[in-house]
Amino acid sequence: MTSKRTGWVFLFLSITLCISAALELSLGPMTIPITSIPSAVWSYLHGARGTDEVVVGAIRLPRLLVAMLVGAGLASTGAVLQGIFRNPMADPSIIGVSSGGSLGAVLTIQFGLAQASQWYTPLGAFASGLVVVFVVYRLSTTWGRTSIYSLLLSGVAVNSFCSAIVTLVLSLAPLQTMQQMMFWLMGGLDGSTWSECLILAGLVTAGFLIYLSQAHALDLISIGEEHAEGVGVSLQFTKQVTLATSAFVVGACVSATGVIGFVGLIVPHLLRLWMGPRHRNLIPASALGGAVLMLLSDLVARMALLPVELNIGIVTSCLGAPFFLFLLRRQELRSHRG
Amino acid sequence: MDKSFPELRLEQVSFRGVLRDVSLGWAPGHLIGLIGPNGAGKSTLLRIAAGIAHPTSGAVYLRDKLLRDIPPRHRAKEMAYLPQHVPENVMFTVEQYVEMGRFAYRTAWGSLDRESREAVRQALNTLNLSRYRDVRLERLSGGERQRAGIARCIAQGSRIILLDEPISNLDLYYQVDILKRLQLLAHQGYLIVVAIHNLELAARYCDTLVLLHNGQVYAHGSPPEVLTEQALLDVFRVPVKIYTDPHAGYLRVSHLS
Repeated sequence: MTSKRTGWVFLFLSITLCISAALELSLGPMTIPITSIPSAVWSYLHGARGTDEVVVGAIRLPRLLVAMLVGAGLASTGAVLQGIFRNPMADPSIIGVSSGGSLGAVLTIQFGLAQASQWYTPLGAFASGLVVVFVVYRLSTTWGRTSIYSLLLSGVAVNSFCSAIVTLVLSLAPLQTMQQMMFWLMGGLDGSTWSECLILAGLVTAGFLIYLSQAHALDLISIGEEHAEGVGVSLQFTKQVTLATSAFVVGACVSATGVIGFVGLIVPHLLRLWMGPRHRNLIPASALGGAVLMLLSDLVARMALLPVELNIGIVTSCLGAPFFLFLLRRQELRSHRG
Repeated sequence: MDKSFPELRLEQVSFRGVLRDVSLGWAPGHLIGLIGPNGAGKSTLLRIAAGIAHPTSGAVYLRDKLLRDIPPRHRAKEMAYLPQHVPENVMFTVEQYVEMGRFAYRTAWGSLDRESREAVRQALNTLNLSRYRDVRLERLSGGERQRAGIARCIAQGSRIILLDEPISNLDLYYQVDILKRLQLLAHQGYLIVVAIHNLELAARYCDTLVLLHNGQVYAHGSPPEVLTEQALLDVFRVPVKIYTDPHAGYLRVSHLS
């Protein structure tokens, strides 16, 4: 029964993904009929530079791919971290990579590096995200064992420390720099390029495969660390591998689009309720679901107040915050029923 | 197989003041009961014997090898361990959970091989869980969850099984049922170590008892050797009368206070 339902979930997600991808390519200030999209992509790839070709091939297609990859990366990381933390409220930002990334990005803008090359801000975000995760990891590891509780708490502490520094930098920055920083912090897909796409595709795919290789171990860890060790899971190895991988994947996502909240929280949580907790199914389904949610949010962001384009971070957070509260409430009700 | 040679050996094991200088050796073919009051170190001893915690001094040997040096997957093929609590809020089905016992035998990408599926099927049958196969663990009663935990250990197919209070949540029927099954397995050549609180059941089904007191071995031997009135007074601080039940022929412990 479970496997049948899993099949339906994958089918549903794939169909939704196709439809939302088609809409994403077609809709916008300039609507391009869905039927002429394949030919536009084809001619763009073969060097044609008409209006349709440029809109689809140079603007919307990279944007679509970046949105999908970021959604897939964040949601599959969310699935993995929720397993490791044995907590459905865990989110990719929990290990400090997002706030670390924000700090790095804000600092590169503050020190004027952003003007020197368009790559410095994302690189700064990526690097500082990794550094912060490493600090959080070291803080919560003693005698070669990483405690999940201290990981969680160090994550919270380091997150708020980074946020404080970001706020400090923001409040001291001149208006124009501050706007630039805010723009980055809010997260956005505009200006997505093909080179961004390729880098993201490499990192997210590699991360996804590494996550999948740990799927059985994650199943066990989500039940309990001692259960996992009792059947032969190398606990510390799995923790190190998944934490390092999530740092790279989320770091890449954050540096491509800024911080986009709640995708990594909602998608795996919902899918777990829907198809069960097996990571072997949950990780790929979350990747698909994350891609779908990002595309749908981006559609809303672009179309809701046409011609004004909302920031996608606003849309995912507006969807995510009420949902998060709903989860919190539901969990409390459950624990009261006991 | 030589039944007298200890398969699992603890040599002068100490652990952060919880265990002090514990030396024990157990041969296959025996059901060993760890008894002692709360906080005596039973769980810690099991975790160390399972290679999940490492002693602060002393060493644990699996046959002639230092347990610490055996990679987790290899260790799991030799030895299964079940912690005291099978958590309540687990969304996995019973079958999925028992399949996890085969972790050491599966690759990251492949599905369960035939041998593993057979082991899972047998473990479910052994513990009368076949009809709960597709039920989520969170929907089971405490006792059923406990049985699922034991089934997972049996599915693991290792010849040493360490169980931390496996019968503590069970009703009398399953307490006896599980102990009988464990005894049978032990006599088929397994080495099974259980932490257990029920002294009478321990005396009746275990071949050897280890009485722990303040992190040290107070007594180690056959049930009548270990369960003496003086020992129980010293360790549990309860005066007891120990006698053989004239009807059933088993050791009875009745407290006098």
